[in-house]
Amino acid sequence: MCGIAGIVRADPGEAVEEQALLRMARSIRHRGPDGFGLLLDPGAGLVSTRLSIVDLAHGWQPLTGEAGSVLVYNGEVYNHPELREQLRGQGVEFRTRSDTEVVHALLEHEGLAGLDRLNGQFALAWWQPRRRRLTLVRDRFGVRPLSYATGADGSLVFGSEAKALFASGEVRAAVDPAGLDQVLTLWAPQAPRTAFAGVSQLEPGSVLVWERGRIVERRRWWTAGPGGEEPGEELEELLRDSVALRLRADVPVGAYLSGGLDSSLISALAQVEKEGELRTFSVAFDDPAYDERAEQELVARALGTSHHVVEAGAAEIADAFPDVVRHAETPLVRTAPVPLYLLAREVHAHDLKVVVTGEGADELFWGYDLFKEVAIRSGHRDDPERAMELLAELYPHLGASAARRGPGWARFLFEAGAVDDPLASHLTRVDATASARAFYRDDVAAGLSVDAALEPIRDGLPAGFAGWDPLERAAWLEVTTLLEPYLLAAQGDRVAMAHGVEGRYPFLDHRVYASSVALPAARKLTETRDKVALRDLADELLPESISARRKQPYRAPEVVPFFSDGSPGWVEEMLSPAALDEVGIWEPRRVEGLLRRCRSGRATGVREGMALIAVLSTQLWHEEFMAASGDQPTETAAPEVRIDRTADQSMSEVS
Amino acid sequence: MSAVADGGDDVRKEMRAFIEDNFLYLDPDADLADDQELLAAGIVDSLGFVEIVEEVEARYAVGVQDVEITEENFGSVDAIARYVERKRAEL
Repeated sequence: MCGIAGIVRADPGEAVEEQALLRMARSIRHRGPDGFGLLLDPGAGLVSTRLSIVDLAHGWQPLTGEAGSVLVYNGEVYNHPELREQLRGQGVEFRTRSDTEVVHALLEHEGLAGLDRLNGQFALAWWQPRRRRLTLVRDRFGVRPLSYATGADGSLVFGSEAKALFASGEVRAAVDPAGLDQVLTLWAPQAPRTAFAGVSQLEPGSVLVWERGRIVERRRWWTAGPGGEEPGEELEELLRDSVALRLRADVPVGAYLSGGLDSSLISALAQVEKEGELRTFSVAFDDPAYDERAEQELVARALGTSHHVVEAGAAEIADAFPDVVRHAETPLVRTAPVPLYLLAREVHAHDLKVVVTGEGADELFWGYDLFKEVAIRSGHRDDPERAMELLAELYPHLGASAARRGPGWARFLFEAGAVDDPLASHLTRVDATASARAFYRDDVAAGLSVDAALEPIRDGLPAGFAGWDPLERAAWLEVTTLLEPYLLAAQGDRVAMAHGVEGRYPFLDHRVYASSVALPAARKLTETRDKVALRDLADELLPESISARRKQPYRAPEVVPFFSDGSPGWVEEMLSPAALDEVGIWEPRRVEGLLRRCRSGRATGVREGMALIAVLSTQLWHEEFMAASGDQPTETAAPEVRIDRTADQSMSEVS
Repeated sequence: MSAVADGGDDVRKEMRAFIEDNFLYLDPDADLADDQELLAAGIVDSLGFVEIVEEVEARYAVGVQDVEITEENFGSVDAIARYVERKRAEL
């Protein structure tokens, strides 16, 4: 697991400055604290920062191969030993034990067709100097990030994080209001958009080919949804194998334990597969509304793991928030990434670099309440009274309100939203999130709309989507609009890699995903049970109180950390009318009303919490990226690998 | 209604300020009419309605019974003023 970055120019005669590469390396050293390497070619430069996990002694990058082709690669391909054997059978010789070399060899021998054979999470840049071709690739779900920007002269600058682009000196940070507005609609910018103008992110499961100054190809090499490769094995075998593959490393592997079904199941399977004691890590909250420590300890005891708990109190959340925004590189509407940032810090402090987690299970096996709501709405259209009873069981506060307000209101609730809209399952969330747009300045709001923010989602729906089962539609939307752009990014890669910790997600093995999609609906969700197939498996491995436990949504406090005794002084400074005017996105008079409610303790609702976090994170994000001075620190350590081929004429000869 | 005018004016002023501060802050220039229906106009939702009830209980030290939580008693600034005066008269 690493960070990668680079610059390629249309004209090989136009040099890439080594200093620019050193600044880029410096900006993403948190992703690769163990060392870095760089390569200079005529009109091109690549850097890699390394977190050593496989083949610790070797495996340094950039890695050169046949015809001068070069790979910089951020990620893990878990089936690299099997692929290595297959390639050896075809006559390929290897110099290292690293997966990087296997991926490079596969690309050189099979081209992009070989991507289908990779089981892992990765973002890579493959440079073929004689064709002046750079190929960028991102794994199926986009677990690993990859940003890029193109210049007027045809140059392309890329990096694991946008901060590498800004460090290059070739890309200037500026706000993209439409990208920001997607945060205030769907919680995160939707690829290829980012919150920065002129900076794109490669879509998950995609390749981009740049050649001699032009992007000549850009396509999906994998897409989510039904109709993919049929899994050859049963779910349980696949999941066990997926966990076993994700324990492959030359360093110890730990596990995150939330106390819920998914991470408990992964920890249990890891404990079975792993030699020696498993170390588990959990977040605990001082506010009991968010805390799951009792369940976490129960699982840890049942599995016999060595368990570590991080306390995420209000002060810790407030203190870490600016760092989280810096790493996320986008405004946020939730503080939930912060405890995971604190957790990764704890993992790092225990000298662990790799953790397996339960991410993905709720999307694949329909565990979120959102799916239950869809099932109730779509399954009981002819019986609104029964539907209302079920909705009231699902959301007790709605039940209480309905009882107080009468049946007319209940019917209104049930019928709210356009059921026939392909995005129906997600419009409630969109509506709640978009309420924070009311705090925009009028001139900012004038150019934006929820419809415009959703347009790329509507345009990108798979063929025949409207005819899919409503639950399949909801699952696809959940994977593509929330899991990929937000949960795996701001709440996943970014906060873990901030501390050089690699998260591995057994549920997001593409074979497990295909198996989940192919499962009959009744193996995922019934009227009385969710994640049915997983609960059946958990029944054999975990205490019943865990295997049968209802999901507790993972959340963190939003208002209290910033508005209680001892909250940091920068909060009021960042939200002062002068600071808001300087950034020019939020209307100070409106924000002042929100702050009044925050200070008085009245802002307890979800919408106000999201609005506060949106405003505060935007202010921090703007200060970090847009208002920062142009001086970027440079890497001062010596590179582990330094390849300079600028004098090699053959690297300039375009074939 | 004139019977509540004197005492009710303070309640009106205070509750109008409370509602403007807490539910109309997105539109700082808006003027809230005392007979404006708060729910129908979308000024408060059900959670806001509960906040108003709690504010009345805390500010005027009146005990609100569940059956009294209706639009008739809390649906507008006027309604709240009438309700508070009535409750005070009961003390």
